[in-house]
Amino acid sequence: MSDRKQNLPQLYRFCFLMLGDSRKAQEVFNTTLREAAVRAAQGELPQEPFWLFREARWRCLEASKTDLQPESLEIDEHDIAPQAASQIKQLEPAQLAIWISAAPDPQRTALALFYLDEFNYLEILDIAELKLSTLSRCLAHGRRQLQAWLDAKRSGAANA
Amino acid sequence: MRTLRILRRHRALLNCAPISQDHLADRSMRVAVSRENGSGEFVNQQNFDRAVAELVRLVPIPPESAEWFLDKEVVRGRKWSWRRIVLNPAVLAISIAVVVIAGVFAFQVLGRLNDFPGSGTARKLLTVAGSTRSVMLDPVIAEAGTLSDLFFMKHGLEHYDVPDEFADFQTIGCRVFDDDESQRIAQIWVAEKRMQFFLFPAERDTKTGAVLRFPGWRYVHQEGWVGAVMEHNGVCFMAALKGREKDLAQYLSGPKQ
Repeated sequence: MSDRKQNLPQLYRFCFLMLGDSRKAQEVFNTTLREAAVRAAQGELPQEPFWLFREARWRCLEASKTDLQPESLEIDEHDIAPQAASQIKQLEPAQLAIWISAAPDPQRTALALFYLDEFNYLEILDIAELKLSTLSRCLAHGRRQLQAWLDAKRSGAANA
Repeated sequence: MRTLRILRRHRALLNCAPISQDHLADRSMRVAVSRENGSGEFVNQQNFDRAVAELVRLVPIPPESAEWFLDKEVVRGRKWSWRRIVLNPAVLAISIAVVVIAGVFAFQVLGRLNDFPGSGTARKLLTVAGSTRSVMLDPVIAEAGTLSDLFFMKHGLEHYDVPDEFADFQTIGCRVFDDDESQRIAQIWVAEKRMQFFLFPAERDTKTGAVLRFPGWRYVHQEGWVGAVMEHNGVCFMAALKGREKDLAQYLSGPKQ
């Protein structure tokens, strides 16, 4: 297996983005790797690429099933602003992870996989079992919603 | 309609445009990105994505999880050795299936090697021999060689002659019937080893109608029965018994194949 296909730091980051909680991310990450080690010892590792990410994804979805689910609200969307990059730089990674983990699936998976900057779009479609149109929609809405959230944060801070 | 679809796909690809240039997966993505390069909206999107990706790279890895990175072999599959490949259940199952198929194929080919004109009918008649009971035949006690006249006089069957090798055998009964191809078949039951004789029309060329001849005696086998067949004057004679070739061979003279 190539190193890229089992990039473990990226696997941890993926779990963190999916769950928005360092403790839960560690738990899923460790369980996934422990299971993988057992299967490797038995010579039963799957041959397909990126199976670790696929496994971790299902574990994350399973782990967050019991969490409080966000209410389904119409979320504001704003056009991406030219100053968005500087707005993002003011965020903490944990804030971004919490925001992504609050998104409904498959948008959550799509955003987490995309912003890892580890996979091309065909690989993301494969791991997340999505169609191009769905992935495109998830990312486009995700960007606009994140922009709206950034704008709301900024105006909130200004008011304060 | 087609243009609309292309535009929609182009838009979809742009929404998934990679953050790093080395993730330009395929030609369609490269084309979509190169067409849009420089447009304000796309530049904004790329800057936005780059900033988010940089923030993701800052996600700290807890030391407990980082321990896994030390042992890179932990989730690496074992290398496939020849022994492991051979003992793999799937490979083993396929190998056995291939051997069985090859065996059946070889058996069929070997079986066909001994084929001769009329062998198909001969095999069918061996099946008939296996299912015939003596009560189904008209009782006739005579020498088998004399039944040629009976077949000619009573049934109009010409050249239905029992060869000299079997002409002296005492018969128990005989009958004439039509097979499923409406061929007239003569069947004789003799006392010797409960042997049965069959006389049937030799196979003919479908175009010219000429009899397809073959020299000497030929053996056929079916369901534990063995038959020795010879052709003479457009009629095939088959002596059949339940057993092996050597049980029949002692009665035959001339070339055997």
